[in-house]
Amino acid sequence: MRDIGKMAQLLVVEDERSLRELYQLELESEGYEILLAKDGIEAVELVEKSPPDLIIMDIRMPRMDGLEAMGKILDRYKKIPVIIHTAYQGYKDNFLSWNADAYVVKSSDMSELKAKISEILTHKKNR
Amino acid sequence: MILDWERQPSPRDLLTLILAGGQGERLHPLTKDRSKPAVPFAGSYRIIDFTLSNCLNSNLRRIYLLTQYKSQSLDRHLRNGWSIHNPELGEFIEPVPPQRRFSTNWYDGTADAVFQNIYLLQQQKPALVVILSGDHVYRMDYRPLIRFHLEKKARATIAALVYPRRLSSFFGIMQVDSNQEVTSFVEKPADPPAMPGRPNESLVNMGVYVFNTETLVRAVIEDSKMDSTHDFGRDVLPALVQGGGIYAYFFEKEDGTTAYWRDIGTLESYYQAEMDFLQENPPFDLWNPNWPIRSYHPQVPPAWIAPREGQVFNSLVSSGCRIHGKVIHSILSPSVFVGENTQITDSIICNDVTIGDGARLRKAIVDKRIKIPAGFVVGEDPEADRERFLVTESGISVIPTGTLFD
Repeated sequence: MRDIGKMAQLLVVEDERSLRELYQLELESEGYEILLAKDGIEAVELVEKSPPDLIIMDIRMPRMDGLEAMGKILDRYKKIPVIIHTAYQGYKDNFLSWNADAYVVKSSDMSELKAKISEILTHKKNR
Repeated sequence: MILDWERQPSPRDLLTLILAGGQGERLHPLTKDRSKPAVPFAGSYRIIDFTLSNCLNSNLRRIYLLTQYKSQSLDRHLRNGWSIHNPELGEFIEPVPPQRRFSTNWYDGTADAVFQNIYLLQQQKPALVVILSGDHVYRMDYRPLIRFHLEKKARATIAALVYPRRLSSFFGIMQVDSNQEVTSFVEKPADPPAMPGRPNESLVNMGVYVFNTETLVRAVIEDSKMDSTHDFGRDVLPALVQGGGIYAYFFEKEDGTTAYWRDIGTLESYYQAEMDFLQENPPFDLWNPNWPIRSYHPQVPPAWIAPREGQVFNSLVSSGCRIHGKVIHSILSPSVFVGENTQITDSIICNDVTIGDGARLRKAIVDKRIKIPAGFVVGEDPEADRERFLVTESGISVIPTGTLFD
């Protein structure tokens, strides 16, 4: 785990470029360092190189979806928290999504996502 | 599928997972070429047949066996003996080796075996999951257990063998309140806690569980993130008990005496459990028409005993055997040939073994397809036996498959 005070590093996995850029801007302004991946395969590779403090994972993506990527990542790095961030409610019924620490439905208002990130990182620090 | 507590679950609401991946190291060399559930038992059976027969007789017909090590002979046995369900009716018995969908590892503990197969639960979406072990010998109707689980509106229910307290130190023991809700777990306690109101008995965890699917999925996911042994009895259930809603179903005979349940862990317990079935009143009735124990039976003629010199006392003799000698208090699997002037006592002889003229076997386990030469003797001189074979503490000699004699 990173030292307290050091910027937390978040990996944002998102296939839509405009959203990737938006999330990067918004989350950098919250004081996080942001890594980006455009699908599950890239995410798995990136985590191998440098495990982040938290992952924000879209589900529907080309090449490899977020549920599969999360399974692969958590098998190796079981303590990295993952927030599923999808436009769909329906994946909540999929047991594979229960592996995540939180499930946030995409919204133009990013306050829920930001609150979850800070809640999980605080909890992780205190653990 | 939504769980309706008020009605009886239909077979489609229930999915059964049989944990059949144990390496069975302490049963070596019987597990040299096969997994523990595939080890021959009581002449014409394999250990797995008892659990599968319990399922069949309890109307559990949607079954995955989570297999792992050396599963080929188990697979073949399932195909030959247990291809009896109709997939068109949604029934199946299907072996599932590690798929390594996400994991790069094999099953690491019983809870990990379930964790790695969450996608099967996702596909089937049962209301309840019954979890069983593939290496126990017992006769149990799971229907009252499932009814109990529904009546208690439990999150999970654990079958608890009501067992003499003084003999319970080798097991995982549960403590319960007056409503049979589990309050704590202790693994192999020196001084096992007693049941409420029954000071001489304890509640042994049998490794037989009913879970609400949701509870199960959340529990194994949680466990997957822990540094634990990923074992239901040691890790998952003790953690679940903290949250309440975990109940113990008492497994005992109707007259309140101890029911038969054996975890076939060691060569000693394997041998003893087999010998139990030679008693005049066996632990449970293999002849019970209402509770048939199913197996694969090879197409061989009935056992034949030679006139005059062929003699059989207190033994289980399977089809296809030909006996020219004396068989006393022993168990013979199908197609064993026993030569003239032989004496086989207190022994277990597996399929297709030939025993040459004049051989004497005492307290021996002879695995499949061995040719015992004429005049061979085992079980009379423990020192000599130890030089040739594995001999257990109590003096059981084990002759493994592939042994050649000159």
